[in-house]
Amino acid sequence: MDAGEGSSKNATEPVRTIQSGDTILLRIPSGDVRTLKLEKGGTINLGKFGSFYSNELIGQPFGLTYDISDKKLEVIPPRTFQEVEETDATNELIVDGQVQPLSLEEIEALKKSGVPASEIIQRQIDQHKNFQLKTEYSKEKYKKRKEAKYSKSFSTIKPTLFNVCDYWFKKDQSRLRDIRPDTLSQILNMANIRPGGRYLAVDDASGIVVAGLLERLGGQGRLITICDVESPPAYPVLTQMNFSKEVISIMSSLNWATADEEYTPVLTMADANADTPKSESQRSRVNKRKSMASALTQTREELFAGEFDGLIVASQYDPFSILEKLMPYLAGSASIVVHSPYVQIVSDLQAKLRDIPTYLAPAISEAWLRQYQILPGRTHPLMNASGSGGFILHTIKVYDDPSASSVNTHRRAKKARSEQLVSRLSSTAPEQTPGQREPAIDIAAQSAAIQMEVDPSNTPS
Amino acid sequence: MWSTAREIAEGDLVIVWMTRDLVQPLAISSGKELNTRFGVYRHAELIGVPYGSKIGSRNGKGFIHLLRPTPELWTLALPHRTQILYLADIAFITSWLDIKPGSHVIEAGTGSGSFSHSTARTVGPTGHLWSYEFHEARANKAREEFSSHGMDEIVTLTHRNVCKEGFTVVDTVDSVFLDLPAPWDAVEHAKKALRKDRATRICCFSPCMEQVQRTIIALNDAGFTEITMYETLIRPHQVDVTPPLPTVSTIGNQLKEMEARREAKRLRQIANSRSRGDKRKREETEDSAEDQSAEKRHADEVDGSGKRVRTEVSVTQELDATLTEQPTTARRANAVTTTSDAGAGPGTDGQNLTAHVVKEETPESGLPPSKPSVSKAFPEVRGHTSYLTFAILLPASAIAEASTNMESPTTEPTPEAEVTPATS
Ligand SMILES: C[S@@+](CC[C@H](N)C(=O)[O-])C[C@H]1O[C@@H](n2cnc3c(N)ncnc32)[C@H](O)[C@@H]1O
Repeated sequence: MDAGEGSSKNATEPVRTIQSGDTILLRIPSGDVRTLKLEKGGTINLGKFGSFYSNELIGQPFGLTYDISDKKLEVIPPRTFQEVEETDATNELIVDGQVQPLSLEEIEALKKSGVPASEIIQRQIDQHKNFQLKTEYSKEKYKKRKEAKYSKSFSTIKPTLFNVCDYWFKKDQSRLRDIRPDTLSQILNMANIRPGGRYLAVDDASGIVVAGLLERLGGQGRLITICDVESPPAYPVLTQMNFSKEVISIMSSLNWATADEEYTPVLTMADANADTPKSESQRSRVNKRKSMASALTQTREELFAGEFDGLIVASQYDPFSILEKLMPYLAGSASIVVHSPYVQIVSDLQAKLRDIPTYLAPAISEAWLRQYQILPGRTHPLMNASGSGGFILHTIKVYDDPSASSVNTHRRAKKARSEQLVSRLSSTAPEQTPGQREPAIDIAAQSAAIQMEVDPSNTPS
Repeated sequence: MWSTAREIAEGDLVIVWMTRDLVQPLAISSGKELNTRFGVYRHAELIGVPYGSKIGSRNGKGFIHLLRPTPELWTLALPHRTQILYLADIAFITSWLDIKPGSHVIEAGTGSGSFSHSTARTVGPTGHLWSYEFHEARANKAREEFSSHGMDEIVTLTHRNVCKEGFTVVDTVDSVFLDLPAPWDAVEHAKKALRKDRATRICCFSPCMEQVQRTIIALNDAGFTEITMYETLIRPHQVDVTPPLPTVSTIGNQLKEMEARREAKRLRQIANSRSRGDKRKREETEDSAEDQSAEKRHADEVDGSGKRVRTEVSVTQELDATLTEQPTTARRANAVTTTSDAGAGPGTDGQNLTAHVVKEETPESGLPPSKPSVSKAFPEVRGHTSYLTFAILLPASAIAEASTNMESPTTEPTPEAEVTPATS
């Protein structure tokens, strides 16, 4: 570490530009996001917003905004907000429901004749009898609305984990099992994902968790996923991430049969690949089978050897059954993160885990997120917000030592003694039988004991 | 960063977990002793023990868990020199700023290094973090910490005022994170440090809306776009194990029984007073005594037939108790949760208490006792940390190209702008 002035480090990977074969995200003028696979030499059709040659995008950096003109693209400046000045105008003289002066046909005709969107808007403004009566704010809003409607400009969206998660979440959050970008970020941090780490994941959330893991591993380390299908699962979210081969290469997948130590997958049975090949094609088939078998055996051995740094679960299956199965393969101090769209699932899990001493302090949390519109003088939270990003249970694997006694054992003994004293003092103290409500005095004694455990200042050392 | 070995070794930093609210870092140095109210431990005894172990104290009074440090645990355990960032904000910022292995990141100020540790972990050995702090003592302390945590290769710490002097790198980083009182004064400097060949990102972290407003003006003026803002929080939930809720028909039946008995009593009283005739005046003074004896009789009757109902008085008490049972249960169940939450460390009595609560509340219906778990947000939670203002700086080439396009706003694209950006 430089003690003083750090100097520029320029040895970074080259800029990742848009390439043929990429699956890209486009924000179209309506504000919606579309996804498409970019092929060299093709034409991309954005419906009523026009079409353009796909080569126009190849080699471009992500995140720019373009106008389509004559099937070619023109970079346009990003939207900055103008300081909007207050005027004396108010909305009080506006006649509600007054129609816009330009008819749809007129607008279409203007568009066909190649008049740029900005000019159409201007003409509309000119003819809008009410326009000058409006406040500057309303005018700005009106302009924005019109711009969105008639402009052909669209933007490419950089396929960051955040953006890809956001795209899928907004499209159909149930396919991500409600994992919102903020929830995902919390999951990855809670699980301490770092390049070089070794992780297990159960992802029935279209691959959003796998995408996050692969991104944060950056081609270093190891990821084994366990799935519910015979052959390696399709994690559709990975498509938009456009990962390189190296990044994906550290992942292997097993399923709930092949991840079972007791089970011997047919593929790996010694005699399954024993036939002597008779033809060339048969030989290659046999070879392929052999290499698949050895890869499977290797992955199984790796899993069973254990010592993984963390486990992330976002699954439709009983999380307790998953933890029971995979817990043996986790290293001491490994983070375990379980996500569910339903609080009941994780709270039931928490109730079970807290009775098992190898799960340290299982805790449940919910991510809360609020986005704001940012404009000078008009900053406020967005009117529409996502209701839930699901619930997370986090715990840490520990090795229990049943012989280690807690401070509480001493306290409990003490408490028992003081309770005996209380019973002797109180002539009415009944013998406790199951089903009988306990006397009030006992409750007080308990909560006193609990108080003691919670308040550190109150503890004997 | 920290040890990745299975077992604890001399010189390792371990996280000692006592309770959820008592998590502390410990640098292992044989010869030293760890003295806590959960017991006394010789460091030498901890060497060679696997990470994640529960260790009982020598005097048998309590135990601790020895955890492998992670940035998240470090955030809980670190010595506070300033306000720090916590998981929710750190995670969200990391995600929005697209921080990943290999990323080049600037943060200012370093503060207590909570954000720094998380970022160093995420960018890894192929990335880099430039961290700036103008408070000299804090800078020195943080530098020491980074060094002893094996972060020398990943973090460069500079002692300087970034609002006045700017950053030490130019055209270098992918993202900038500003956690300073006046981030707007550092925005232009940040722009210089951000690389120009790609879209880069900035986040300003400010607790007050007035700060946000100044920041967004500065960002807008400097040419940052897609300015947006978020607030994010983690809402912790507590889980209670409660007995099944009693139904209102149980209560209704009890009320009906009460009413029947009261009516029976009234009829008895009428009968009695009739039989007493003209002695009435005298009797009146003894009424209460009479009442009591009537009750006694009644109590004897009922006691013979059913054991749940004793006297009218006791029925009323029982009903009262039933009515208040819910709050009482909730209170006790809360206590149970709190205990197990704080615990799983020493002091956990959750298991026993849970079992106890359920047992005592089991209805007498003979149904097998079920243990539904319910959950709710903690009664007191963090309501605000800061506003996270984000923005993007587009590649210089794109901005240049766009402005050329704007100067000639014809539908004809300028030739050099046709396929690739003018400069790249
Ligand atoms: C709230 S703390 C940062 C906490 C940090 N993000 C963390 O997670 O631990 C803010 C720090 O910025 C430093 N600071 C304030 N203004 C500064 C400036 N102009 N240049 C450098 N550091 C500055 C303060 O000394 C303080 O330590």
